[in-house]
Amino acid sequence: MLLQPRERGGDCEQQLLGSPSNIILALIGSFCSVAVGSSSTMMSNNELSVCWSFFGEYCTSVFFFLDKDIIYICPFNGAVKGKVLITNFRLYFKSSYNVSPTVMLDVPLGAISRVEKMGGASSRGENSYGLDITCKDMRNLRFALKQEGHSRRDIFELLFKYAFPLSHGLPLFAYVTQEKYAENGWKIFKPMEEFRRQGLPNNKWRITFINEKYDFCDTYPHVLAVPFESKDEDLRRVATFRSRGRIPVLSWIHRENQAVIVRCSQPLVGMSGKRNRDDERYLDVIREMNHTTKLTIFDARPNVNAVANKATGGGYEGDEYQNAELVFLDIQNIHVMRESLKKLKDIVYPNVEESHWLSSLESTHWLEHVKLVLSGAIQVADKVSSGNSVVVHCSDGWDRTAQLTSLAMLMLDSHYRTLRGFQVLIEKEWISFGHKFASRIGHGDKNHADQDRSPIFVQFIDCVWQMTKQFPTAFEFNESLLLEILNHLYSCRFGTFLYNCESARDLHDLRSKTVSLWSLVNSKSEIYLNPFYSPESGRVLYPVASMRHLELWVSYYIRWNPRIRHKQQSPVEQRYKELLALRDEYLKKLEQLQLTDSFTSPCLSHSPTPNSSSPTSTSSQQFTHLHTPF
Amino acid sequence: MEFSEHIKTANVENVVLRQPLHPPARGTLCVTGHHLLFSDREERGSPQLLLLLRNIDATEKRMSASSGTITIKCKDLRVFQLDIPGMEQCLNIAHSIETLSCLGHVSEMYPFFYRPVDVNLQEQWGLSSPEKLFGQTKEFHDRWRLSSVNRDYSVCPSYPPTVIVPKVLDDESLKKVAKFRQGGRFPVLCYFHRKNAMVIMRSGQPLTGANRRRCKEDELLLQAVLGDSNKGFIIDTRSSQQAQQARMTGGGFESKSSYSCWKRLHRHMEKGRALQESLIKLVEACRDESHNMDRWLSKLENSKWLSHIQTALSTAGLLAECVERDGHSVLVHGSEGTDCTLLISTLAQIIMDPHCRTLEGFLTLLEREWLQAGHPFQERCAHSAYSHAHLQHESPVFLLLLDCVHQLWHQFPLALGFSDSLLLRLANEAYASNYGTFLCNNDQERCTHEVKTRTHCLFKALLKPSERDHYLNPLYEPTELAIWPSVQPQSLQLWTEFFLRWEPQIQHIEEAKKEIKNMISHWGKLVLDDSCSVSLNG
Repeated sequence: MLLQPRERGGDCEQQLLGSPSNIILALIGSFCSVAVGSSSTMMSNNELSVCWSFFGEYCTSVFFFLDKDIIYICPFNGAVKGKVLITNFRLYFKSSYNVSPTVMLDVPLGAISRVEKMGGASSRGENSYGLDITCKDMRNLRFALKQEGHSRRDIFELLFKYAFPLSHGLPLFAYVTQEKYAENGWKIFKPMEEFRRQGLPNNKWRITFINEKYDFCDTYPHVLAVPFESKDEDLRRVATFRSRGRIPVLSWIHRENQAVIVRCSQPLVGMSGKRNRDDERYLDVIREMNHTTKLTIFDARPNVNAVANKATGGGYEGDEYQNAELVFLDIQNIHVMRESLKKLKDIVYPNVEESHWLSSLESTHWLEHVKLVLSGAIQVADKVSSGNSVVVHCSDGWDRTAQLTSLAMLMLDSHYRTLRGFQVLIEKEWISFGHKFASRIGHGDKNHADQDRSPIFVQFIDCVWQMTKQFPTAFEFNESLLLEILNHLYSCRFGTFLYNCESARDLHDLRSKTVSLWSLVNSKSEIYLNPFYSPESGRVLYPVASMRHLELWVSYYIRWNPRIRHKQQSPVEQRYKELLALRDEYLKKLEQLQLTDSFTSPCLSHSPTPNSSSPTSTSSQQFTHLHTPF
Repeated sequence: MEFSEHIKTANVENVVLRQPLHPPARGTLCVTGHHLLFSDREERGSPQLLLLLRNIDATEKRMSASSGTITIKCKDLRVFQLDIPGMEQCLNIAHSIETLSCLGHVSEMYPFFYRPVDVNLQEQWGLSSPEKLFGQTKEFHDRWRLSSVNRDYSVCPSYPPTVIVPKVLDDESLKKVAKFRQGGRFPVLCYFHRKNAMVIMRSGQPLTGANRRRCKEDELLLQAVLGDSNKGFIIDTRSSQQAQQARMTGGGFESKSSYSCWKRLHRHMEKGRALQESLIKLVEACRDESHNMDRWLSKLENSKWLSHIQTALSTAGLLAECVERDGHSVLVHGSEGTDCTLLISTLAQIIMDPHCRTLEGFLTLLEREWLQAGHPFQERCAHSAYSHAHLQHESPVFLLLLDCVHQLWHQFPLALGFSDSLLLRLANEAYASNYGTFLCNNDQERCTHEVKTRTHCLFKALLKPSERDHYLNPLYEPTELAIWPSVQPQSLQLWTEFFLRWEPQIQHIEEAKKEIKNMISHWGKLVLDDSCSVSLNG
């Protein structure tokens, strides 16, 4: 099934691409074919240059497959004639010159969850023959084509193959692209460095390499922090009693009071109510380290779900854990979350349910779920900051647990609220601890109805967004970062969110063969910075998890609707950029003043001495000490 | 007037004050003619509570043998409690509060007693006048004139002494038109759109009645508004059915046959009691403490407050569209023309006119469109959301305006020159104030009570350098373009800074906003002002 792109619309290609000799169209199935010339030779035409400019630096590995006339059934503007262009990375549509307003679509193939044929060769009615595309990023697309000559076959087959490469024995796009960035994002998270930053190892906690080869627990990271007095044999015995061997390990330690956040999976209690003295002892060791009377175990699930899990061998910590108190956080499972977001999509796309907007929104329960996740995390953070160690788990400890620990850490530790710290948080609590990104997102997999898919990570980012709204000066990054992260959660352009766990990533040489999303982010970090960030290192953020204070994240969930105003995005962004520049200039001046005044001016003497680490954070800290009113 | 006759107990010791955002405090409570004061013994300096009695919307008392608790609900939505020892003292205090908080006489109100040290009453009152507006728009003097037909308020009691009208109509004709319009509110100019010389007029409804009365002068006036153009729009803030019904009670609308160049557009806008009830429901929902997944969004929806905002903004958008996009003049009215009419003419001007988006421009706009145009503040703002009193003319139209402006502020964070704390301040002042600005129902009453000579002007005070800074939007970037609001329900948000203001979280956000403001002004100062380095060096 070779595609012959010049068969159809060959003229237009010539017109589009200039001299055809510059271009050797890549043929399907052979990635080794020569890529589309250099970008400069292709800029002969405005329309195409618009398209290609998106590809930017990784152009050399983008294979240009097809462009043809098509009708996009736009839910906002009706049927729009234009051209569709498909590469191995994206589907791009632009309306014809005579269409107003100009309609453009730019969909990474990774964002596609389902491609279906609509109508048949004999279907009646205008625009009844074409393709229906369901996307993972809150939109659906519908294209119509001419009914004659199997006009949709090539495009359907292309999309089907390259949107779901794994189902066709092809590599994900992240393995094909050759992007180069000034910074290597894979270096942002070094587990040992992060442990050292937290003050580990210490006399109570040790670092173990028991999982170095992933044979202790195949979904855990290769380095783990565990109680100092627990020997590796103890760990092995505990592992037999925890689902998938995901034993309780340290995620975060409070520098002052030494209280810790420990994460794990559910205990394998089962119907018979099995006990494991090693597990009981292990948790008690964690409690004893802080000399508190009780260890709090947060089970993220609703009580009934935890009970039901006994039937499949799981369960929860019962009375035999004498010095522990168990708290259920009532957060629903991945299936409930998936259905909730599906309902939300139904009321916002393509058209927003207007007549009973708020009650419709309420009936999706999405904000309610967000509220429960946030309030669970608040309880975790509150316990820890008052000196009590906590254990967090759900069933397997890779969905709700990741949400809770990472959000609690975001509340407790201001480092994670910096641009780089946030990347570390995601790398650590989500990626290294085996949140099953591949299964939850379904990267490159045609099985759109897979019950393993669920927007758990989206929900986490939503919670972070809610926090940034409630604390506008507490985060170094802005909303654009969160949006960018969610874009690339699906795009498959970066290796960051691929695979289910660290062992699978190592097996597929992810770090050496793909580029990290953080390479992109840190190479143009200025667009992700919040100009109003003022770090306060000791501050614990307690967001209000009340429905009254939660908002729907309109600029994400309803971003495809042109009728919703997104705060006049561009002028605001422009203004923020100006403000960032102003701030930088201010900080520079301040620094100069400090240099010249360091001996004479007593009023600046209480500012911290500059150190050589990241210049922004240093200078912003100076700024806070001088001017933060509280 | 003697306030002391209402005060049997002026001071009580050992009172416990429980108010939002503060821990309970024990101290002395004091009632004066206009204030409730509370200071705890330890703290020197300013009292912990200094509340205008006028701010109190409702009180509830719970008595026991030896003490009592008074719950005080304020018009600024704050609710606090006073635990008062001694039943008699408690009853006395409650009685004083109830009586003094709703004194009927304008001249007894606090603004007549408020005498700040740094200002004197000789200063000119207010920011603008029709004369001034007319003077600023020389380019339309050929077709318009300033009329003082209402100099003694006899033609229209709710209009200012001077108004802008088409030049071709003399004062005698205006008097005839006034008789044909409800409340004597004949069509007057309120906005001149420089870009295309189109205007916004407002008035009361025509008194066509059941037998379709006509008024030649009224038709002439509207014809004169159009000038060379052959089409204008009338935006009626009632549904066409309501407008039809109004004829039965002597009101009506401009019929196609008599006003052939004018096209009527009906937009049903709620006002009066419906709006007041909406506010009551909303505030109730905001105060609901139950945490059982509290169905908050449904309650918010049921209050209909946001849908009133949607209607107001979309009607104002329609008005602005007629003027700015389609290039037509528009007449706006409902029935009286003192509520929704003002609401949408104000919003439309903010949408179209960059000048109205500056701090001075906005205050001037409010002065022109609400105070001079005769919005009956005294009646509308007599009570707020908590009152058990029998509601008469109360209606939060002005609050709705402020909320709509807040939505604009939210959607266009750079386009408005003033900060949202100005809106909050105005929302307070409209209900209870040290200043005379929002006293009375119209210019005539203000004149009778000598408000402009015996009280201070709020708008002037807000523009003083000390206050002004606080009310500027640090992100402001003037734009000449119209700001078209999105009225999709997803784009409209609860004005949490007002409705949830007594929750700690909102206070945190307010503090963060203040911090942002300080940051920006600091950056600006140091970067732009090199003399700063000199001062630091020195």
